[in-house]
Amino acid sequence: MIVAAPRTEALDAREAGSDRARRRGGRLLAHVESARRTVDLLAALTAADLRFRYGRGPFQVVRWLFDPFALVGVYLILVTVVLDRSGTAPGLSLACAIVPFQLVMLGVANAMGAITLRAPIITNMAFRRTLIPLSSVLTEAVAFGASLLLIAVMMGIYGVAPTPAITWLPVVLTVNLVLAAGFAYPASLFALWFRELKPFALSFVRVLFFLGPGLVPLSETSDSARRVLELNPLTGLFESYRDLFLYGESPSARNLLYPFAFGLVLLVLFVPLYRREQREFAKVVG
Amino acid sequence: MIVAEDVGIRFLFDRQQRVVSTGAAKLRRLGSETWGLRGLSFSIGPGESVALLGASGSGKTTLLRLLGGIYSPDEGRLHVAGRVGTLLSVEAGLLSLLTGRENALQLGVLAGMSRAQARAALEDVKSLSLLDEYFERPVSSYSQGMRARLGFAVAGTTAPQILLLDEVHEALDHEFRLVIEERAHQIVADGGIVVAAGHDHAMLERLCTRALHMEHGSIHADGPILAVRDAYVTAATSRGAGTPDP
Repeated sequence: MIVAAPRTEALDAREAGSDRARRRGGRLLAHVESARRTVDLLAALTAADLRFRYGRGPFQVVRWLFDPFALVGVYLILVTVVLDRSGTAPGLSLACAIVPFQLVMLGVANAMGAITLRAPIITNMAFRRTLIPLSSVLTEAVAFGASLLLIAVMMGIYGVAPTPAITWLPVVLTVNLVLAAGFAYPASLFALWFRELKPFALSFVRVLFFLGPGLVPLSETSDSARRVLELNPLTGLFESYRDLFLYGESPSARNLLYPFAFGLVLLVLFVPLYRREQREFAKVVG
Repeated sequence: MIVAEDVGIRFLFDRQQRVVSTGAAKLRRLGSETWGLRGLSFSIGPGESVALLGASGSGKTTLLRLLGGIYSPDEGRLHVAGRVGTLLSVEAGLLSLLTGRENALQLGVLAGMSRAQARAALEDVKSLSLLDEYFERPVSSYSQGMRARLGFAVAGTTAPQILLLDEVHEALDHEFRLVIEERAHQIVADGGIVVAAGHDHAMLERLCTRALHMEHGSIHADGPILAVRDAYVTAATSRGAGTPDP
């Protein structure tokens, strides 16, 4: 009996240890299950959104490609003919701004209509509505993936060969996605809070393109203009794409970190706010 | 198990009388507020089926949305234990440009199934909904009854322990009403809960044994369905509120 106590304590300690391990294992499993569930929900919302926004069949791809190609065509005429500022490979330079901007712009536009679009679901069942703006961005990311073809075409036209710097592409794409998601959450809330001001919000995002080095690279702007343009989070994004595809260089840390941090700050500020507001979406759209 | 303690749901309106969220109300000039439900306390145990009776605007749909987790209580406490299946509008959560199959897949995942489970359940949804070749067509080509059938079939395949029905079953044909009744009875027999609102009292009497009479967002009476129904019909008739529901 005397030795039983320490043995019992040792057993208790072992059992307590294994309980803790089980709890840790249980928590890990719960996290894995939650992550799997998030992926499933995002996939389901995005697949439905793609059908809803872009229809089905071969014309889907045509729709994804039409906008960026048309925009590059129009801005190319503006830059080379009207403004007479052709610079280096102007078509490729424009594509390096238009393609990433399209993801941000269309992500915002989609997120602004996403709650109303899903009103029949929101008023009929409970689900994780916090994922809706993210799924809007993922929907546009599919179209964005197709529009990367535009950059490849422009590289071919101007005879610009890819360099090892292209290995930075996943990092640049991540920054692009984070910034687009960062804009999507406040855009979605804005559309609900100020329904009649939705067109102004879209115009504001469009203005950001022109308040950044969208039409001409940053290196072709004046020093004073550059200081202002660098405040725009899109500037670093556009320049990073140009570094990769036009100049064949690795993007600078500032060009990557500033838009990334900007997107993160927007997410940190607006996702909790969105989470609080989503509890009342059914009241607002019902 | 469902337990509600002094639960309330509040609606805020802006000056154009549109419903706004709390966040929007802080940013905009608030017009007015009203309580859709207030001071609701009740419990529904396993194996119970409850009908919600009351005039239009009495709070039946608001209560069903609250139980379904679509609304969160603005005051009080609500405890709902069990997997919930809902059919709360004729639209049944369907997006009109998607086909029946695409909608069923999306709704299955949103209701809690994995994508693999939702995909595997598609043939069951197709056969339960009796849609046949319409299952592959856009929902925009469906009648209201067909939409409700698809919505119910999806809700059915998620194996709900708590089934919430709001009037939509009244848009269904006789054949599918029997399917719903059979399914509802099965859920109750398995220890689940069914809560149904509507104006078809004959059907509610077949589905439910207990009733809550809702009036102005609160519970006016709670008891066996026949007694509550009779009291409701008598009160509605004596107030001259028109012909009571059959």
